[in-house]
Amino acid sequence: MREFLVFLPLTIAYFALKSTLFAGFPLPDIPLIIVFYMAYRKAAVAGVLSAFAFGYLDDAFSGGIIGTSSFALVLIFLAAHQVSRLVQFTSPGIRAGGVLAAALVKGALMYYVLTVTNVDVYFLSRVFLDAIVTGALAPAVITLLQKLNAFTAPHKFKDSEN
Amino acid sequence: MRTERNIYSFLRKNHLTIISLLLALFSLHLALTGKREFERGYLLKEIFSYTLAPAGRVVLSVEDAAKDVWSDYIALMGVKEENDSLTKTVLALREENNRLKEEIRLNERLRSLVDYRESLPYYTTGAAIIGFNMERWTRTIVVDKGADAGIMKDRAVIAPQGIVGRTLDVQGSTTRVLLATDLRSNIDVIVERTRVKGVVEGNGTDGLILKYVRQVDDVQVGDQVMTSGLSGVFPKGLVVGEVTKIEKGGDNFFKHVEVRPSMDIGKIEEVLVLREDAFHY
Repeated sequence: MREFLVFLPLTIAYFALKSTLFAGFPLPDIPLIIVFYMAYRKAAVAGVLSAFAFGYLDDAFSGGIIGTSSFALVLIFLAAHQVSRLVQFTSPGIRAGGVLAAALVKGALMYYVLTVTNVDVYFLSRVFLDAIVTGALAPAVITLLQKLNAFTAPHKFKDSEN
Repeated sequence: MRTERNIYSFLRKNHLTIISLLLALFSLHLALTGKREFERGYLLKEIFSYTLAPAGRVVLSVEDAAKDVWSDYIALMGVKEENDSLTKTVLALREENNRLKEEIRLNERLRSLVDYRESLPYYTTGAAIIGFNMERWTRTIVVDKGADAGIMKDRAVIAPQGIVGRTLDVQGSTTRVLLATDLRSNIDVIVERTRVKGVVEGNGTDGLILKYVRQVDDVQVGDQVMTSGLSGVFPKGLVVGEVTKIEKGGDNFFKHVEVRPSMDIGKIEEVLVLREDAFHY
């Protein structure tokens, strides 16, 4: 819950910037990186609810079909949590690869939902561009999230951050 | 008793997976049932209209302030003293010149908009674009007028160059507009030269697809496409775009026709929102 409250303003600021100063720019998918970070680090019910909330926010802010992003982010949270039992996302390269894969999965899931809702989708190349940008910048963003999380955490937990 | 304990143990062990799957199903339910019901999430969107829109304005104001600080102070640092006065004068004149040019451009745009507005037989409200959302499959903009200014849902949004889209979510002070190029946009149109009817849909990028044109219909590259007035949202006779490409459709019955929108959304800053239903005219 604390992490959700910490990352919520960051997500809202991201959406505000994305629709004003950086409209049309291929920005990294910050909510996806946050969800991925919460899933592999310390998966809990609060994390799943955060994934749903961030997805809902994404759809609400972008004017898209409500439920597409939250569907994708919740499943990515679950998948990242399961994969984190096998893979330790400790190095920047592995994190970048994990987030890149998650971004591709998100694009594929949203594509699937839109196709099921009878929306004709012609354009898929943006998914790859966004995934590459998100994956490339994910290690730096995760480092920032760790610092932000450590800054707001009670002192006794700071040493246990990974 | 033992079975109950096993069930409880199973739920406890897999609660994260179960909650995740339930939430995913709920999200899917929202997506599949709410695709045409834009009222879903109204409360949250209403809250955002009072938080994000001001946040967007603050960001733009900070950007303007940063630009002012840069142009008025930092850019002048390091200039030799003997040239200070002259340089400041030149910069001030340039800034004023730029400001006046910007004022002239704004004046020209507003004059054009007012002339266009006065030529229309509908009641319209002028609004400025304050946000763009060009996502993977979503094309929407946010304008700075809402229900307080008399704007309602599903009203046509136009510009002198052509149609822009239709109002999607109307809050008190802002309105989200679904652009004609969005995948969910459907507009009944007519080819001006031959009066062939069809439906223009967004292709999710910056183009339009003209659907339901039969192989026998006479449509050529360069033909102008206008609104037909059949949908009830857009009045008849508004410019939609120009036919740029015609191919034989995959089903051998309809043609695949691509249309270039008459208006580049990236180049307009103000729009007009129709306040009355087109049928009422």
